[in-house]
Amino acid sequence: MSQSKEIFVRLDRCVGCHTCKIACSVEHSKSKNLFEAISEQPTPKTRVYVEWVPPDRKVPILCRHCEDAPCMHACISGAISRTEEGIVITNSDKCIGCWTCVMVCPYGVIGRHLETRKAYRCDRCPDIQSPACVDACPTQALVYRSVAAFSGDVRQDVAREMVSGEGR
Amino acid sequence: MAVKQMQYVVIGASAAGMAAAEAIRKLDSQGSIIVLSEEQDMPYFRPMVPFIINGKKKFPEMMLIGQGPYQGANIGVRLDSRVKAVNTAEQKVSIKSGEELLYDKLLVATGSLPNIPSDIKGVEAEGVFVLRTIADARAIARRAETARHAVMLGGGLLNLKAAFALLERGLDVTLIVKSPNVLSRLMEPDDTVLIREALNKAGMKLMTGSNVTQILSDSTGVIGVLLESGREIACQMVCIGKGIRANVEFLDKSGILVDQGVVVDKFTRSNIQNVFAAGDVAVTFDPITGERIVTGLWTNAAEMGNCAGRNMAGQPSIYSGTFGILNATQVADEPFVSMGIVHTKGTDYETHIRATPKTYRKLVFTPDGTRLVGALFIGDISKAGLYRYIIRERMPVKDIKSDIVNHRLHYGYFLR
Repeated sequence: MSQSKEIFVRLDRCVGCHTCKIACSVEHSKSKNLFEAISEQPTPKTRVYVEWVPPDRKVPILCRHCEDAPCMHACISGAISRTEEGIVITNSDKCIGCWTCVMVCPYGVIGRHLETRKAYRCDRCPDIQSPACVDACPTQALVYRSVAAFSGDVRQDVAREMVSGEGR
Repeated sequence: MAVKQMQYVVIGASAAGMAAAEAIRKLDSQGSIIVLSEEQDMPYFRPMVPFIINGKKKFPEMMLIGQGPYQGANIGVRLDSRVKAVNTAEQKVSIKSGEELLYDKLLVATGSLPNIPSDIKGVEAEGVFVLRTIADARAIARRAETARHAVMLGGGLLNLKAAFALLERGLDVTLIVKSPNVLSRLMEPDDTVLIREALNKAGMKLMTGSNVTQILSDSTGVIGVLLESGREIACQMVCIGKGIRANVEFLDKSGILVDQGVVVDKFTRSNIQNVFAAGDVAVTFDPITGERIVTGLWTNAAEMGNCAGRNMAGQPSIYSGTFGILNATQVADEPFVSMGIVHTKGTDYETHIRATPKTYRKLVFTPDGTRLVGALFIGDISKAGLYRYIIRERMPVKDIKSDIVNHRLHYGYFLR
């Protein structure tokens, strides 16, 4: 069985350049082109956020598609469901803009599109192979891997650091 | 060894009942699940009923099964099956038709009924409504075809939504509220400036501090209301939204302990073995105040139903309670979220208010300022869920307090 992939954040690599946000907005525009996207109506929105924790930490935050997604259970119009790939999606046609999902999401990653009065969140870019934010990240702070592959990488990285540390 | 197939009976096919059925099916693929509904329509998303009044949605768009988390197969929903009585000694329920159903596990999820104050005369006239079910909404929509002016009694959220739906249909709408402000359960008078502006802008007439004593009618149905002040207001329909009460009358001789609602423990169990309760009909507790409360919110009911379902299927799950106040919605163009303790007048709670022409934020901390206990956001409600999390988990706020007050909080702060 092929394991479904997730977007992982490597906090130590994020430099806070916000490139992921631009790539996300463009991918979720009609034109999929930065220069046209800027003037599109309704305005394309980013679904990934880069926050700052004083003094110097930058934190990309996006929907985790929770296993027991509170937003999905809380939704009062049945607009939020889980796809076969395990992605929690908001169906805009069914969304009534009541913001109950915003009230229950403990990560604060559900956005409100004020022009269309619809909630939106990361959809893992269904039209492309790998999410736009991941592809755009210049430092590979965002990676798209399966849980097993990512934890394997983390172990290897740690091992490598320990070995190189011993050499000093 | 053959395992006996469990018989699960769920009374009530709204949020709590259907969430429970879903949770049971996830854990028990073999058991029989029967959900009894007194309504004529298949389960639907009840908070969407105002859309039937303004005609923005049709019933099929509001149906529950197959949408969102409600995917489970093989859940038997029986309509028009009001339960008359529960016999807990023999573990059976008797329904309207006279039929009896045996259960191994029973869930009471009958929700709530609209409260109609006894001091209003003339409520039986044609053209007087409560808004609860899809059938109510259809009746309101029918009357609205000929009515020109609707009077709404009560300033709660559902009545406000119904009022807007009628405005959108082109009726004149007057909202008459006993308390000094609308949404008095969710905010204090001083907090409602933006909401009042939004109501005015939408063209709603608002009368606060007023009380209707009688509904006037003739052979055409409602023709007006009489206020306590003696003034009469002509109208052709009246909607009463004066709170709710738990739907428990059928439990009278069952031995199930009822005090405002069905009393349950943290595993959603009633005092009688194999009988559980969830949703509006159940008495739960507020984790902040510790008080026993009855809520009337879809989201709470679904969460509690989910928990009850797991307990019924044999997976012990603790229900963590819910805030007495927890609500998000949009009134005209103003979104708001109200949660936890937001009524602070005359208390020692440390309260921080930040108001701009477009937004209003009220953050309420314990008197010693160490924990967040309530939040009210109007206009900008972004990241409200984070605040709910802090309140519910009783997190010490020391390091992040100024970020909470100044709306700079984000999840990154929890990733230390």
